[in-house]
Amino acid sequence: MIQIVSRTLASSVLAVAFLAGTLLSGRFALAGAASLQAMLDGALTPSSAPALLGPITSAGRIGWQCKPEHAAASKDARASELPTDPSTP
Amino acid sequence: MRALLLAALLVQLMTTSGAAQTYAPSTPLPRTTSAPALRAFATAREVEERFKFGLDAEARGDWKGAAAEFDRIVELNPPEPKGSTAQYDLAIAYANLQRNDDAARALRTALARDPEFLAAMANLVAVDLARGDLAEARRIADRYVALAPDSARALYSRGIVALEAGDAATAREDFGKLLHGNPSYAVAHYNLALAEERLGRFDAAERELNSALALAPGYARARFALGVVLLRQGEHAAARSAFARATADASGDPALKNIAAAMRDSIKGP
Repeated sequence: MIQIVSRTLASSVLAVAFLAGTLLSGRFALAGAASLQAMLDGALTPSSAPALLGPITSAGRIGWQCKPEHAAASKDARASELPTDPSTP
Repeated sequence: MRALLLAALLVQLMTTSGAAQTYAPSTPLPRTTSAPALRAFATAREVEERFKFGLDAEARGDWKGAAAEFDRIVELNPPEPKGSTAQYDLAIAYANLQRNDDAARALRTALARDPEFLAAMANLVAVDLARGDLAEARRIADRYVALAPDSARALYSRGIVALEAGDAATAREDFGKLLHGNPSYAVAHYNLALAEERLGRFDAAERELNSALALAPGYARARFALGVVLLRQGEHAAARSAFARATADASGDPALKNIAAAMRDSIKGP
């Protein structure tokens, strides 16, 4: 009887240990994959926000003399004072 | 005799026309003794002077001095366009003093006074992105695009806000439209690629990144993104090669260099 109980106990302990090991290793693998995914997603960041447009004189924004308003309305990316990657020619 | 007479006549004409020439003073002199009128004249003069001092201060990077000048103009409450312009200039000074909440408040006031002030919208979106207020940034960017649908800056600004907020569909539309008018703008190809990647359109993302890299071969962030897209498509060897190249090109960006090297090393070579 004692032998049967101890065998059952031993197999239970073994099963729990095996299950725990499986769960833990699975969890670590999952955590590793998730952190890799998060790392990749975090690295794919959009380019920077545009810098502020410059000051305007007391004459106001109306007319093509006002460079910031012109930059804000321009269709041309270069005239709009948008970010350029340092390696862009 | 005739020649002498003609010369005398010419001299007389020149003297007369010279005497008749008058020049208006640069600022009209007040022709009144009324106290309110004189006060208004003095205020207008003070506003002009403070604009000059404020702009000079901004030009030399004295943001505190500039903020004081524009703050005083705001107190004087001049009529348009000076009122909204003073708020706009004050916001620039505040933003450079890292007072982004105050900068946003000044730009909102500028827009309340002049609702079609595009430069104020552009700057408010930039300030809101710095403050992390994506909700207001998106509202202003929507208004900016509605008023100036072809503006490169409006499309870029809303595209960035949309990417930051997880709205890849709007970002895809805005960067696509921006590229329609500016096909050689490498940064827009990169951002469009991010939108495509988030929508799971890896082929399109790869195409846009290759376009960005054809325009700017040393664009390390685009090279890294290409590695990620190739990895997602199961092209391990090509991804490894892209990460290796990104590691080499990212010398000015240590964080990117480290992550690119880690990715390169995590993929087994042939």
